[in-house]
Amino acid sequence: MKFVEDMMKKVEPLFLKKGPLEALYPFYEGIDTFLMTPGKITRKAPHVRDAVDVKRVMLFVIIALIPATLMGIYNTGYQLLLAQHLPTDFWPCVNHGASKVLPIIAVSYAVGGFWEVLFAVVRKHEINEGLFVTGLLFPLVLPPTIPLWMVAVGISFGVVIGKELFGGTGYNVFNPALLARACVFFAYPSQMSGAKVWVAVDGYTRATPLGVSSQAPHGANIIQQLSIAGYDFNSLFFGFRPGSIGETSTFACLLGLLFLLLTRVANWKIIFASVIGVGVMGSIFSCFNGPNQPAYFALPFYWHYILGGFAFGAVFMATDPVTAPATQLGQWIYGFLIGMFTVLIRVVNPAYPEGVMLSILFLNVFSPAIDYFVMTSHIASRDKRNRALSSVKV
Amino acid sequence: MASFTIKQGRDIKIKGAAARRVVDAPLPKTVALVIEDLRGITPKVLLAPGAVVKAGTPVVMDKNCEDLKVVAPVSGKILSVNRGEKRVLTTIVVELAANREFEQFSTFDRGALAGLSRETVIAQLLKGGLWPCLRQRPFSKIADPRANPKSIFIHAMNTEPVAADIDLVLEGRQDDFQAGLDIIGKLTGGKTHLCIDARSTSPALTQARGVEIQRFAGAHPAGNVSTHIHHIDPVNKGEIVWYIEVQDVLRIATLFLKGMHCVDRIIAVTGEGAKERVHYKTMAGVPAAGLLQGSDLKGQRIISGSVLTGRNIGKDGFTGFYDTQLTVIPEGGKRELFGWMMPGFDKYTLTNTFASVLMGRKESSLDTDTHGGHRAIIWPSNFDDFVALDLITFFLVRAVIVGDIEEMVALGILECDEEDFALASFACPSKTDVGAYIRQGLDLVETEG
Repeated sequence: MKFVEDMMKKVEPLFLKKGPLEALYPFYEGIDTFLMTPGKITRKAPHVRDAVDVKRVMLFVIIALIPATLMGIYNTGYQLLLAQHLPTDFWPCVNHGASKVLPIIAVSYAVGGFWEVLFAVVRKHEINEGLFVTGLLFPLVLPPTIPLWMVAVGISFGVVIGKELFGGTGYNVFNPALLARACVFFAYPSQMSGAKVWVAVDGYTRATPLGVSSQAPHGANIIQQLSIAGYDFNSLFFGFRPGSIGETSTFACLLGLLFLLLTRVANWKIIFASVIGVGVMGSIFSCFNGPNQPAYFALPFYWHYILGGFAFGAVFMATDPVTAPATQLGQWIYGFLIGMFTVLIRVVNPAYPEGVMLSILFLNVFSPAIDYFVMTSHIASRDKRNRALSSVKV
Repeated sequence: MASFTIKQGRDIKIKGAAARRVVDAPLPKTVALVIEDLRGITPKVLLAPGAVVKAGTPVVMDKNCEDLKVVAPVSGKILSVNRGEKRVLTTIVVELAANREFEQFSTFDRGALAGLSRETVIAQLLKGGLWPCLRQRPFSKIADPRANPKSIFIHAMNTEPVAADIDLVLEGRQDDFQAGLDIIGKLTGGKTHLCIDARSTSPALTQARGVEIQRFAGAHPAGNVSTHIHHIDPVNKGEIVWYIEVQDVLRIATLFLKGMHCVDRIIAVTGEGAKERVHYKTMAGVPAAGLLQGSDLKGQRIISGSVLTGRNIGKDGFTGFYDTQLTVIPEGGKRELFGWMMPGFDKYTLTNTFASVLMGRKESSLDTDTHGGHRAIIWPSNFDDFVALDLITFFLVRAVIVGDIEEMVALGILECDEEDFALASFACPSKTDVGAYIRQGLDLVETEG
């Protein structure tokens, strides 16, 4: 401890005013407060502060992402070996998966970190811890076959356009990780969608459950179709299927959710509301089911929870407090609409099999509007309440 | 009588409550008039250092209202008139004379109090120097004697961390307290609300007459004045309520019954840095050091008031004009290796993000460390769990930042004081000082609104 403190003290003058590396002070500060608590004290009331800080909050989101990350690594290797008809023992799966996934995560952190530090230095603000989360969220929503340069392009877009242009973490309109994914999704559709990209074996084709669902012919039994393609409820729930790296396992997301709820880091209202939204929209489609409708209409709503990236998106993306509404009522509306739009895009838009990403980004745009309406009604209701309660009647 | 249960907020369990007994404090050598606590007056100093005063001699006059005088707290010689930044008057220190002398004001019989007119009460309070005890909402400033409040709130409940015990303060003072209530009731055509803790057993409070007894339960800030006003008689634009602290009610009784300006006050000495943690019977504006004899003050912060809303006065400071608590806590600033990723068995938090939570939220040792760097607000909806008023804190802060006065008022800033947001600032992971924004907004509304 003393050693680290002394060491940082020794190099500090280099970065202070008039030091040769003055411009890099945010970088020094970032390292310094990564190693040790800042040790700052309050100047005025409140004289005491809660022990929690942004670093801690972000750390807890990362901890919550561990099950999904590990499952992603394992499943990537598992799918790879399965496709090649090789034995799928545990450690070979992990090894193969790690060799695919870890470089993607490393590139995401390295390139994202570069931009973060650059902007911190140029704009003279602290290095924002949001990157720790963004840098991991982004790889987890990518297919395992993605070229590394695309990872670099995507995270650059997400961090620079999605966040830093607005002023950094806390000011961004869009969830940076999702915006990064949207960037590569629209820029390089052939590497981001279709049936070829989800298993890290060249030339191997296997449609994802979402692909199967959207392509099922009219009047077909959709659950049977999924089953023919090799997807039953259990394998989907636990995540043994092709898909984006971290999103396949609803179970892993639920473990993360449990942790976030116990530590009260995540906003349960948004998650719960989005679950309701999916249920409502899924049920509506079921009601309109008929021989002339796409088979997708018949899918029971609870299958939507385990398909695609819904669980991952609802737990880790929709709950981003910066891009979600700031009002509690707004959060209910926001979550509910995310759920509804997810199903809507999945079922009736043939161009995009997955609706979670687009629906969250869409609602990111609308969250200030939702807040605005909630605020307007709040102003009216508090005015009414206060006038009714006041002893002076006008 | 009505009861209210406040759902928002949390109690900060900090070590160092004062023992439930009253001890006579040693007589101080100096007593200060802490002018900087008097919000809303433009002070003009009437006497120079060296002048001899009695308790009750006018020392400062409000330039905007000549009748409003601030008087010497004790008899003696004015030692110094102190100014801070931008020459703002901070304190006027009086050296205590050997024998206490009082200016003689009119006296009234206990029986006559009920028949007093509003004008008589106002004149006596102004003359006797107790007017600054009456404050108003909006803006938390000293009441304007020319205004007519729609109601008056007696602040007889305090949920700040390790606050003074109000039941103890009122022990044996039931008659005086009732006399004070009778007098204060004359000041408004509306109701006088006595806001007390639902758990209070003090007969002075629970058996008070001529007032509306309002019981509040819940965690901090259930005991804040704003919380009480908000739930009983909220302040709309153009409306004014007045409020007064419980101990000042006793002083008003003394002024009317004995014709004396008295600054006697019970102050709770709290915080783990204080050695003798008791309720001291002393005066307002006494040197902190006198109440902290025997405490090792090295590396400690001395706060007049609570850790949430008090003022850092240093070891040579004086207790505040309105404060009933003196808190001593250790200064922070120790750096911890990888503190942000350690389990944190010794960390105090209202979240569930440290291992200390697993062992129960016990009384803890809190120092002045910020526990993290300042960041942009990333958790805007979190504030509302810690504010007991029906408002959207984040939007209020945002309206202040952009200087939108109309929106601030619509969102309810007139009901607020910075102290109502101290808990929200405490809990904010981005270390936002919400109260500072609220004060900035209030000042803006007051000057331009």
